Amino acid sequence: MVTPVIELSRIEKEYPGVKPLDSVDFAVRPGEIHALLGENGAGKSTLIRVMGGAIRPNGGSMAYLGKPVSWQSPKQARRAGIHVIHQELALFPELSVAENILVDAQPRNGLGLISGRARHARAAEILSQLGVKISTHAKIDELPLADQQMVEIAKALVGEVRLLVLDEPTAVISGHEVDLLFDNMRRLRSEGVGIVYVSHRLEEIFEIADRVTILKDGQVAGTGPVGDLTRDEMITKMVGRRLEQIYPARRKATATGPEILKVSNLRAGHRVRDVSISVRPGEVVGIAGMVGSGRTEVAEVIFGARDLDGGTIEFEGKRLDRRMPREAIRNGLGFLTENRKDEGLFLGLPISANVMAPDLAGVTRRGLIDRRGEREIALEQIRNFAVAAPSPEVKVGNLSGGNQQKVLFGRWSRIARKLLILDEPTRGVDIGAKVEIYRIVRNLAEQGVGILMISSELPEIIGLSDRIFVMSQGHVAGEIDGASATEEAIMDLAVRSIDRREGAAARLEQVA
Amino acid sequence: MSAVVAELRRNRLSLSYVIVAVLLILLVVAGGFLSDRFLTWRNFGNLFQQLVVLGMVSLGQTFVVLLGGIDLAVGSLVSASTVFIAHFLEWRPDLLWLALPLALVAATAIGALNGLLTIVLRVHPLIVTLGMSSIIFGGTLMYNKEPGGSVPRSLADFSYAKLWGIPVTAIVLVAIFALAGLWLQRSRSGRSIYFVGGDREAARLNGLPVNRIVVMAYALSGLCAGLAAIFLTARTGVGDPRIGTALTLQSITPVVVGGTILAGGRGGVLGTLLGVLLVTMLNNLLNFLNVSSYYQWVIQGLIIIIAVSIHTTRRRQ
Repeated sequence: MVTPVIELSRIEKEYPGVKPLDSVDFAVRPGEIHALLGENGAGKSTLIRVMGGAIRPNGGSMAYLGKPVSWQSPKQARRAGIHVIHQELALFPELSVAENILVDAQPRNGLGLISGRARHARAAEILSQLGVKISTHAKIDELPLADQQMVEIAKALVGEVRLLVLDEPTAVISGHEVDLLFDNMRRLRSEGVGIVYVSHRLEEIFEIADRVTILKDGQVAGTGPVGDLTRDEMITKMVGRRLEQIYPARRKATATGPEILKVSNLRAGHRVRDVSISVRPGEVVGIAGMVGSGRTEVAEVIFGARDLDGGTIEFEGKRLDRRMPREAIRNGLGFLTENRKDEGLFLGLPISANVMAPDLAGVTRRGLIDRRGEREIALEQIRNFAVAAPSPEVKVGNLSGGNQQKVLFGRWSRIARKLLILDEPTRGVDIGAKVEIYRIVRNLAEQGVGILMISSELPEIIGLSDRIFVMSQGHVAGEIDGASATEEAIMDLAVRSIDRREGAAARLEQVA
Repeated sequence: MSAVVAELRRNRLSLSYVIVAVLLILLVVAGGFLSDRFLTWRNFGNLFQQLVVLGMVSLGQTFVVLLGGIDLAVGSLVSASTVFIAHFLEWRPDLLWLALPLALVAATAIGALNGLLTIVLRVHPLIVTLGMSSIIFGGTLMYNKEPGGSVPRSLADFSYAKLWGIPVTAIVLVAIFALAGLWLQRSRSGRSIYFVGGDREAARLNGLPVNRIVVMAYALSGLCAGLAAIFLTARTGVGDPRIGTALTLQSITPVVVGGTILAGGRGGVLGTLLGVLLVTMLNNLLNFLNVSSYYQWVIQGLIIIIAVSIHTTRRRQ
């Protein structure tokens, strides 16, 4: 029996009124990728923080490399070789890659001053270990998210790392970026590093993890080798009930009738080069593609939040002329953005104000906001979308991710009578909330709303969409029927079109 | 305790207000013990007269801070407006009806210009209003270096008028605050200030006319500075190009002490009113106790830091 890198026994954590960890046993062996699963609020983050020294448990014991420990600070844990990479990356956007990687260990020269040259050399060495090509001189905010994440991982490799904790690293990346991340995880595993991997994407667990531990309400609901549990068993353990079906039934008849939205040859910036898509009333249209393929930008242009350089957008047969979100909202469009905290919600304001934000006119009587009316609408939406909140006065910042997302559905379902654009609608929400969101989306479509849904999760795109557009490098690479789509078909379209374009570019170079 | 808190929540009374109100009551009680002249009708009459100018400027500052901005031009704007009003009225005392609205329009326009510049130039409001403050200050001094001008009797009388023993100016101030509170809570434009202050990008994506709201908030701050100048000129009888200088920073104290956060989106005018009362009463009491003004500055500084730290700890919980 190998000594685990870290072993937690009967760990307890209690706050007034809540007990996020209730006698949790958890162990990670060296050279193992251990997946940590659970709904939001199941206790995953608390467990991570306990391991990383950010939280001190109320009870239980912890052993690190066979010796009992009790971290006094995150710094102590990091010195000992535990590195936690949170979902929100801890980087300095204005500083260079090298400065960020060596933030804790700036190399000094003979005079005791920080040596720029040594810093870049060391940083470059670490990055090459990871197999990524990132300039050490680049500023963090100039990098795509995937590269930023690699910088964060590089930080972990500066010192000796024995335990690496990754909290939902794939939430912000996709495709080959995920592959690169996984390659690096496998390499670290082969070097004997213990890895804790938190993800909501079950497919990834099967691909990368050796063992899995499932948390439910602060307790361990199950643990064991990945192969011993099926996908459905994992879901059942996570939600504590059986999910017969994750995706609601598709409509039997395909949507017909005139298109509510018709986008032709759209061009905008360097991300959107030639996009033609359409949505009919009552239809769920998926947009698949890599992060950075221009999906979000297309949505923003349709909603009027981004300028277009060419092409046309027809809504109900008419050109949308004034290009601003206000105009779109007036026309019955809604846009549930990818980044709900920065581009959607007002976290410091109550649910009621958040629901009514785009439609203050709708509750204004004789120039004054009708508070009772506002409250009633909010209550109705809380009920309609099963938001777990005691009253409409609760501040949205105090809700869980899934409930925040439901508040946004509560808002936009009232406004988007014709077309609702969803950008990663289930990002960062737990599986139970996901299932509810899928129902909501399907119900809205049944009521005749056209849905345009962007998602990085292929099972979700396939499970929900009537038609799927696959985007790549600012182009629509192809259209697939939702009922017969497979993940392979979608990926194939995306990748093949990239290859072709690169091939064309290479040929052009040869000619020149 | 938690039951009390729950009860307050139900009545939509923010805990921030309660904290300031408790501080205020403590101050009044302490004042009653420490000085026999403090808890008198006469003193409170004076006190209310004193706080009108600060109250008005702080109200304007509240709108801008709620928006996530700051207005450092208010002090200079008050000075310039007093100079304008006093000199205009010295020239034509009969045109009171014209002078005051003219001053208000000009102050509002300068405020609106501040807001517009933050949008068009995309420069931080701190910089825009700091620059504007300097421009107004210099411009006023070019025109007039010393206090001067005069006001007609009717305006001076207004400043000392009392209704049932309460200064009319204080009644007007409270009425304006009430109106402002109603506007912020119950009107579309007022509510929008919270949206834009809470998250500007989210506000835009919710179809709110963000630019218009920004300009409006700064314009209101200008309007409030203009109103403050009217109160001030009425009381002093002259236009003084330096009188408002200290007001700029003083106007921020009651806002933050009252629980409005500098990042925007949270707070309100009731907190500011309580903050103004707290600051003014404290200075008033310290005067009675013959505490030197140096100490008063120190104590006011402590109050800011302590009050705001109480608000933030509470929020973190």
